[in-house]
Amino acid sequence: MTARLIMKLQVVSAVPTTPDVLRVVFRHPLRPELPEWTPGAHVDLRLPDGKVRQYSLCGDPDDRAHYAMAIKREADGRGGSLWAHANLTEGGLAHVSSPRNNFPLADGTRHVFVAGGIGITPFVAMARALAAVGGDFILHFCARSAAEAPLLDELRIVCGDRLQLWFSGAGRRFEPALIGPPTPGTHLYACGPQRLVDAVQAAADAGGWAPDRVHIERFAATLDENYKPEPFDARIASTGEVLHVPADRSLLDVLRENGFPVASSCEIGTCGSCECGYRDGTVIHRDQVLPLGRRQDRMMPCVSRARVGVTLDL
Amino acid sequence: MLAPRMVEAFEHAAGAVARGVPGGATGWRGALLHIHIAPAASYEMEALAEAQCVVGRGIVGDRYFDGTGTYSPKPDTREVTLIEQEVLDALERNDPPLQGGPIRLAPADHRRNLTVRGVPLNHLVGRRFRVGTVILRGGRLNFPCKYLEELLGLPVYLPLYNRSGLNCGIEVGGTIRPGDAIELLDTP
Repeated sequence: MTARLIMKLQVVSAVPTTPDVLRVVFRHPLRPELPEWTPGAHVDLRLPDGKVRQYSLCGDPDDRAHYAMAIKREADGRGGSLWAHANLTEGGLAHVSSPRNNFPLADGTRHVFVAGGIGITPFVAMARALAAVGGDFILHFCARSAAEAPLLDELRIVCGDRLQLWFSGAGRRFEPALIGPPTPGTHLYACGPQRLVDAVQAAADAGGWAPDRVHIERFAATLDENYKPEPFDARIASTGEVLHVPADRSLLDVLRENGFPVASSCEIGTCGSCECGYRDGTVIHRDQVLPLGRRQDRMMPCVSRARVGVTLDL
Repeated sequence: MLAPRMVEAFEHAAGAVARGVPGGATGWRGALLHIHIAPAASYEMEALAEAQCVVGRGIVGDRYFDGTGTYSPKPDTREVTLIEQEVLDALERNDPPLQGGPIRLAPADHRRNLTVRGVPLNHLVGRRFRVGTVILRGGRLNFPCKYLEELLGLPVYLPLYNRSGLNCGIEVGGTIRPGDAIELLDTP
């Protein structure tokens, strides 16, 4: 688990980029520089009621004084974006965490980005970074129309003719089969609505892309509704203490209740805040964030569980 | 919210033993330089021009007063935490051999409540001393944590070892302000 500082930042500007999406720029009222970040990073926005929402940074990492993010108003969402739209106005204050990057640019020679709607945000910073060094990329941007495509003006400037627009309102829909087979050094990225990223993943699978060349950012949990949680025991390696996790409680809840301070944020398996090491036992990984290679000894106790028992490195 | 579980300073294992052992520097007079609190674990510290100290709880508005600190679930002495400005100066000087380079740990970043000058904190376990009109009891030495290192992204764990400050209980509450004098009250 990695602790991240939560700062009280001030809104410098909040300007609509589409009728539904607000582009908000923050600065620190006391410090000239904010913590560093890399393209693809997100921050947590902490709401007054304790809820936490993640937003990708879409500004320029070289501008150390500001964080920029685009926030879509989701009328039927979980309430975070409505609070943000109502309260993030010039001069306003909000609690924002240090950035974390679960969706970094891979070390490749060519990058294919597929974004749907507000899923464009991490790619703005990636495209800007690649454009600055003459990197090879193409950005497919799917939206209903130009008026509903967030950050479009900014993207046109950053990407030039490397921006491919797919506006369904104009009858131009992105066809995932366009992705085709992988070429050496190429990485594929997708961020956006579930249907789009699923289609991209399916096209990549069909095209024979290796899993480590395909990068999907998911902001909504995709837990299997048919999964039936079973109770299990968690043994604490340092003390030998055994904690029982009933079927209707998360491991994270049980750890907290027993005095183990585990950081957490989304609690739906997408942010990576509560990551914890484990030694033996069969872990049922249900998160969206841990790469395959680390699942043998790391787990996310907010959603992941164990078969019968697990020993935690705590 | 978890109820704060404070251990009275002189009932803490360290404070209780030290209480009966004579020694330590006397005759010094120090000053309170800064007061900082944070509303909850991981939240940035905020500077205060004055603070209310409450017996058995801590500084009003701080995470350990409210029971929202990283270590709040663990019963311990942490009503008020102090650190020496002299330690922060040493980190910045890059005294050998524990550091790889100068570390600038600003008073808003070290996450102790009070930054003090001229106060030998390591001598104050098991001792009573005053900060302005407030009386504190030294319960145990503070210990650096990896959590702080992660939070700051600075390698402070080893450099702070055995000079990370003092965890105190409050014997007499009241208001404290930067500039308040700090003096030893008893020499058992």
